[in-house]
Amino acid sequence: MTEFFQSLGMNYEWAWFVATIAGILLIALPLMLGVAMIIYMDRKVWAAINLRRGPNVVGPFGLLQSFADGLKVFLQETIIPSAANKGLFIIAPILTFTVALLAWAVIPFGPEAVLADINVGLLYIFAVSSLGVYGVVISGWASNSKYPFFSAMRASAQMISYEVSIGFIMVCVVLWAGSFNLNEIVLAQKGHGLGFVNGYFFNILLFPIFVMFFISALAETQRVPFDLTEAESELVAGYQTEYSSMSFALFWLGEYANILLMCALMSILFFGGWLPPVDWEPLYVVPGIVWLLGKIVFFFFMFSWVMATVPRYRYDQLMRLGWKVFLPLSLFFVFAVSGWLMLTRFAA
Amino acid sequence: MIHTLAFYLFAVLVIASGAMVVLARNPVHSVLWLILAFFNAAGLMVLVGAEFIAMLLVIVYVGAVAVLFLFVVMMLNIDFAELRAGFIRNAPLGAVIALILLAELVLGVGAYRVGIIELGTPDGSAAPLLGESNIENIGALLYGRYLFLFEMAGIILLVAMIGAIVLTHRESRAHRAHQNIGKQVARRPDDATEMKRPEVGQGVEL
Amino acid sequence: MVDLTQYLPILLFLGVAVGLSALFVFLPMGVSRLTGAHNPDAEKLSEYECGFPAFEEPRDRFDVRFYLIAILFIVFDLEAAFLFPWAVSLDLTGWPGWITMMTFLVELLIGLAYVWKKGALDWE
Repeated sequence: MTEFFQSLGMNYEWAWFVATIAGILLIALPLMLGVAMIIYMDRKVWAAINLRRGPNVVGPFGLLQSFADGLKVFLQETIIPSAANKGLFIIAPILTFTVALLAWAVIPFGPEAVLADINVGLLYIFAVSSLGVYGVVISGWASNSKYPFFSAMRASAQMISYEVSIGFIMVCVVLWAGSFNLNEIVLAQKGHGLGFVNGYFFNILLFPIFVMFFISALAETQRVPFDLTEAESELVAGYQTEYSSMSFALFWLGEYANILLMCALMSILFFGGWLPPVDWEPLYVVPGIVWLLGKIVFFFFMFSWVMATVPRYRYDQLMRLGWKVFLPLSLFFVFAVSGWLMLTRFAA
Repeated sequence: MIHTLAFYLFAVLVIASGAMVVLARNPVHSVLWLILAFFNAAGLMVLVGAEFIAMLLVIVYVGAVAVLFLFVVMMLNIDFAELRAGFIRNAPLGAVIALILLAELVLGVGAYRVGIIELGTPDGSAAPLLGESNIENIGALLYGRYLFLFEMAGIILLVAMIGAIVLTHRESRAHRAHQNIGKQVARRPDDATEMKRPEVGQGVEL
Repeated sequence: MVDLTQYLPILLFLGVAVGLSALFVFLPMGVSRLTGAHNPDAEKLSEYECGFPAFEEPRDRFDVRFYLIAILFIVFDLEAAFLFPWAVSLDLTGWPGWITMMTFLVELLIGLAYVWKKGALDWE
């Protein structure tokens, strides 16, 4: 894109700067639009599974529902509780949404279409997603109210518990791909399964890891069945209880942006990212971003599906699953994957 | 130019937030300033080309250590006035420690300038590059040359884990309702229910 | 060598993201003042409780288990941090590197077994 702006008569630095800002907006704005559409899709999927109609009034097929909701929320009054810690109370939603956007900087949408092609891309995502806990904790604490505080404590303990196994799962993928660069991880999956399936899921050692990653992603983003932080029968609306107007909506937007990020990560780590599903020449005509978005939507459908069908976990079950099942299991897979690679790939 | 600008941005922010850690009245604010300091330190690490260290700084310090700090100061409900009272009393001790650290820094930098100790030069010529990226180099050195030191780190982590348990875990109360999921799932209708057909006027033995 | 030009977009992205989210928070505040929706009163600004004044300070002491989880998280996060460089340098270190890491994992598994046995991972 830099060349294009250079051709408009700018010098290299300015062209680069404008191109980068354009790239950032090209990621951030469609992401927000995508979040609005994905909330609509979420509601439609639950409705279909529950044999309801879902949103169908605003716009054709109810497509504009999220925008109507957004406008309503935008025009509402922002209530800052008098007991709250005002500065932090305002910072928390900003932090949540910033972190949710920031991780997208390294996601490769195509062979060249990546904003920041850094060597440690996967670690960057791991680092940024580990910041997500602060939005929750700060909002819960700054509200100075019982339910948000309980919810924040629960949520943070839950998020850090599952981050452990997510770390080990990432190690397994990196072992196989031999790089932390997301584009290289994608390329390493080309023709991985039987020489023509693009993706690590087609691998007896890595498929169980994918399943673990999927469940951990549900827990990390606090989706059903792990949405204990917003268990409305116990905690009202969780750490967002005291929030209103757009600050409240930012938590939602951040949450859904994180869910999309997890879907994108699943596509990139296990399903070949922007590669077509099978390594067949004519399929490469379709641009990579279409494949990636298709995979993201597919995984998001799985998330909605789980939400509509699975009952909520209890907190002790959640902790048991994280620490007593996933942690030993993911460690075992680190052993198994590295051992297998030692025997086959690094034998000499 | 941008490099220099970014350096001064991060450096100023590190020092400013470091000062705020000490000056903030509320301990929770202190921890949050500390997090900002870590974050900017990570930015500085990126500037010198240590991207892996930068990510680790965020993952380990911001993502894990600071969470624990935050848990502690948020949940202990510390009495702020009491904390403040201790400040004057402990100030000389703090000053002494600060002076020692400063002296060590000066010594270290001085020694490095003089060039007596082989510490390596910023261009990476002291340690031969084994892999392509610096994360690979760290791996190759850590698990090749410094393998025993690494194992020692493992032992220290083990001690930390056991220490944490010994210090914080209270023995559980005598009876605790445990859920055995395997047992629950393995339970079949036949184990739980029984079909009885009593004659009229005759009871059922339980 | 590290390509720093790849990190500059991240810094810019950080700026744009903070700007966007701040805009989303502060703009509705201004708009609600203009439209007259901004109309606070004492009851509205009190903290949420189910219809009665809160009995006690909301920031109470918490179960020690939460600290324990955080401490264990640090340990295992560090373990993951050690695994990252190992995962990409296995081809350079070979079997000695692999065996070293497995010993390290066993050391931490002993710790995990101890924690498990002590019941620190049980929640009721």
